[in-house]
Amino acid sequence: MFKFDYFLYCIPQIAARLDVTLELTFVSAALALLIGVLVAMIATYKVKVLYPITRVYVSFMRGTPVVAQLYFFYFGMAVYSTAIRDMTPMVAVSIVMSLNVGAFMSESIRGALLSVDEGQREAAASLGMTNAQTFWRIVVPQAVRVALPPLFNDVINLIKMSSLSFMIGVPDIMGAAKILGANSFRYFEIYAAVMLVYWIVILAFSALSKWLQRRCEQMY
Amino acid sequence: MAEALIRVEHLYKSFGDTDVLKDINLTLNRNEVTAIIGPSGTGKSTLLRCLDYLTVPTRGKVTIENDTVDAESYTKADVAALRKHSAMVFQSYNLFKNKTALGNVMEPLVTVQRMPKAQAEERALKYLDVVGMTERKDFYPSKLSGGQQQRVGIARALAVEPNVLLLDEPTSALDPQLVGEVLATIRKLADMGMTMVLVTHEIHFAHDVADRIIFMDRGVVAADGTPAEVIDGRGNERLNEFLSFVNH
Repeated sequence: MFKFDYFLYCIPQIAARLDVTLELTFVSAALALLIGVLVAMIATYKVKVLYPITRVYVSFMRGTPVVAQLYFFYFGMAVYSTAIRDMTPMVAVSIVMSLNVGAFMSESIRGALLSVDEGQREAAASLGMTNAQTFWRIVVPQAVRVALPPLFNDVINLIKMSSLSFMIGVPDIMGAAKILGANSFRYFEIYAAVMLVYWIVILAFSALSKWLQRRCEQMY
Repeated sequence: MAEALIRVEHLYKSFGDTDVLKDINLTLNRNEVTAIIGPSGTGKSTLLRCLDYLTVPTRGKVTIENDTVDAESYTKADVAALRKHSAMVFQSYNLFKNKTALGNVMEPLVTVQRMPKAQAEERALKYLDVVGMTERKDFYPSKLSGGQQQRVGIARALAVEPNVLLLDEPTSALDPQLVGEVLATIRKLADMGMTMVLVTHEIHFAHDVADRIIFMDRGVVAADGTPAEVIDGRGNERLNEFLSFVNH
């Protein structure tokens, strides 16, 4: 039967590895955001040569499973690349997750940039503002507000995605669960505790997202 | 003594196979109000937008003051120089949604004219006063009615102190009861001697306020003269047909 005291015992054991999960999440989120902004700008301004390349990249990242991407990178490409062979699993997972979530973020950001109507851009042009002035002072402040909810969704996906990192040996929450399981075989309690820990983290993120959105809406 | 401010020479515009403007030649004078009227889809707005290159003509030249832009060979700098002379008021106001009324009017003063903030604010307040929007200067566009937004749009265009104000159907998107306040503002500017080119469907208003009426039909200037000559004269069959539709 479900041993409640063992379940309670597992929670701090598992939560102790949250640092790995959060580190993976924050590093990958920052990199993914950078990739997302660059790709979204390339798409918005239809930059020559780069635009078709980024389209293929986005389509590929969205069209293939992240586990396959991770294995392809860490085991497949490692065959031909000493750099990847020498990489720690943590770095490899961060790279793959950044590339994957970056593609999703680029779409969120692109939509937000497009949501600022053409009329405001025309008004700025007619008043003599340059494209750069219009972009930074008019388009970006409005796009940020539109992009926040989908970007937070992307980060939430990232948190959950980080659980895959154990598949290539990163000792995260899932790793802690595996070790506990090897000792007690009480998988039911252990993985219930795992899900509870993830759930609490994601609820905290959702609350932060809602708070930020409310702040933004009050602005104008 | 009439002094030429804007010159349009052999202006053509096509969208794909559709010829919207066909060899437009016009000279518009300083301190005059020119109203462009005509049926929908005859190139009125396109002509106005070509005057500050929001729409790029296919061929022809546009000159304001001494700055000429030739559609077949122009640079970004040419367009920037041309735009310095004019400011556009849009049908859908096009206010910057992330800025207050005051912020909207100050924006081009701070970014384009590089004015210190205090000076920009002083000038912005002066023009918000002209349009009667001083009390609502700290409101965001989402908190203003259409008529109020349009008056802020007019203040924003005036504040850059352009040589000519271009108004693209400034009342077409407004509820009937809000049209009056915007027309009153435009009339006030006309009385102040502001040079304006106004695309409008408000024929009575154009008749009252404009010094000159241009009737466009199928991409050409079909009639051109004082309101008395064009609207009351009714020398043109298409014009008569148009005027009967707009319930003159």
